[in-house]
Amino acid sequence: MIALQIKDVNFSYDAARIIDGVSLSLKQGEFLGIIGPNGAGKSTLLRLICGICKPADGEIMLFEKPLAGQNQKEIARQVGFVPQETHFTLNFTVEDVVMMGRYPYQQPFMREKREDIDAQENAITAANIEQLRKRPVNSLSSGERQRVVIARALAQVPRLLVLDEPTSHLDLHHQHSIMELLKRLNADGLTVVVVHHDLNLASLYCRRLLLMHSGKIEATGTPNELIKKEILSKVYGTAVRIVRHPDKDVPQIFLHTD
Amino acid sequence: MTKTALIIIVFLAAVACGILIGPTSLDAQILQLRIWRVVLGIFAGGVLAFCGCLLQGLFGNPLVEPYTLGSASGAALGASIGILVFGTINPFLAFLGSLGTGFFVYTVARIEGGLLRDRLILAGVVMSFLCSSLVMIIMVMGGRELYEILYLLMGYLGVIINDSNRIMIIALMIVSLGLVAFLYRFHRELDVISQGTETAAGLGINIQNFSLVIFFSSALLIGLTVSIVGAIGFVGLIIPHVAKLIFGPKHRYNLGASLVLGATFLLIADTISRIITVYELPVGVVTSLVGVPFFIYLYKK
Repeated sequence: MIALQIKDVNFSYDAARIIDGVSLSLKQGEFLGIIGPNGAGKSTLLRLICGICKPADGEIMLFEKPLAGQNQKEIARQVGFVPQETHFTLNFTVEDVVMMGRYPYQQPFMREKREDIDAQENAITAANIEQLRKRPVNSLSSGERQRVVIARALAQVPRLLVLDEPTSHLDLHHQHSIMELLKRLNADGLTVVVVHHDLNLASLYCRRLLLMHSGKIEATGTPNELIKKEILSKVYGTAVRIVRHPDKDVPQIFLHTD
Repeated sequence: MTKTALIIIVFLAAVACGILIGPTSLDAQILQLRIWRVVLGIFAGGVLAFCGCLLQGLFGNPLVEPYTLGSASGAALGASIGILVFGTINPFLAFLGSLGTGFFVYTVARIEGGLLRDRLILAGVVMSFLCSSLVMIIMVMGGRELYEILYLLMGYLGVIINDSNRIMIIALMIVSLGLVAFLYRFHRELDVISQGTETAAGLGINIQNFSLVIFFSSALLIGLTVSIVGAIGFVGLIIPHVAKLIFGPKHRYNLGASLVLGATFLLIADTISRIITVYELPVGVVTSLVGVPFFIYLYKK
């Protein structure tokens, strides 16, 4: 099944074209990494997929149904979104935050249903945050908080999980644990789309990469096809060196310096 | 559960104080006046605190209150014009002032593609200052009216209820309670929005529409309240914080708690304002005088 089909989508903000004729097809079960320089339109593309922004023209199909005809709650029952940064202005407990992922399924005043509690429990287990569940969310480290936000997205019981730079600002341990979590969720059948600023992590974990540059798709392919000196040097305008990862046969990048 | 019982007991005690305590002995006429006063206190305190809780939730900003968004100052301006022109508070003008200011703030804040929510605060604060200056001009122009406008700006629960305004005030209160019930249903949306607009949009909330609904409904509610009892300050700012300190961050609980605590607080403040001096103080003076130390105590605890 095709999870996501984007056809000739354009999007502008204040007369500046952010997304310029993007087309993309994503099969169910894929693990796609979107990479590209700052301002390439990566985050905007994610917002279009989640229905937060509406495309100026072109069509987006989600699980073979057009996105345009669906309301935001309907979309939220299919796509779980992890934004780049989450500020918690109110100090909810971890459990409460995860339960908010059930918002697209709930009515005002109604108590949580059996399926809400089940979804909450499954999300807490999947994200491995049982030991944090009673903690106020503002007492957590940023790595722990990111797991909670991912758990909240999982409580939506999404068929497609979309993440915007989930490992930025995280230390090595948490970068690793978040990416391993995504890998495990993907192995269990969840379709995953991640925007990455870290090319080495993207190369190591994503099975397919999409390179964006000034609102257009520059290239798409496996890490081996895409992480190449000539392609990256051109798009990023920086000289790079490519080596092989010692454990896994994928390319890794180093900056060039004298 | 015990917390709920406790705030209800305190509320009932405040009602009893409002009716029984006073400088004169109780007779049938005084009793009737006091009961009206208590009803107005419950209404105004509850609605203002409820609106404050709602707006703080929408904007994710603990300093937002009914006055930040210009609607209370707009209502005060409308009411002042009413006093200048007709000699008495005219609820219709207060109401018009509140909604007019609301529309103006909305027009200033609106921008193609921009996030309305974040621009409303600044536009509201600016409009609030404008309305206050205009009220000052009216106060300088007016002679005898000065005193009445002063009470309007500080808030006063001793409104004289007679045959000509009774029906109207009851109708305004019923409309307000209907609005409160309508707005209460957004408790989940407010919880979700506290995690940022990106998150809320990703979970299926249309932030633009939601901000509009909350902004105009609360402008309406504040307009209705100010038109009856004047611009009572402080309740809408502080009570939501107290509600959150007691009941935690969930709006399902702290919206309701704000209603009850706001009513309780205003009743106590009004009782104090009646007995502390020979002349009745405007209740808004007492809300700040009593409220600030109480809040500092709670905050430090």
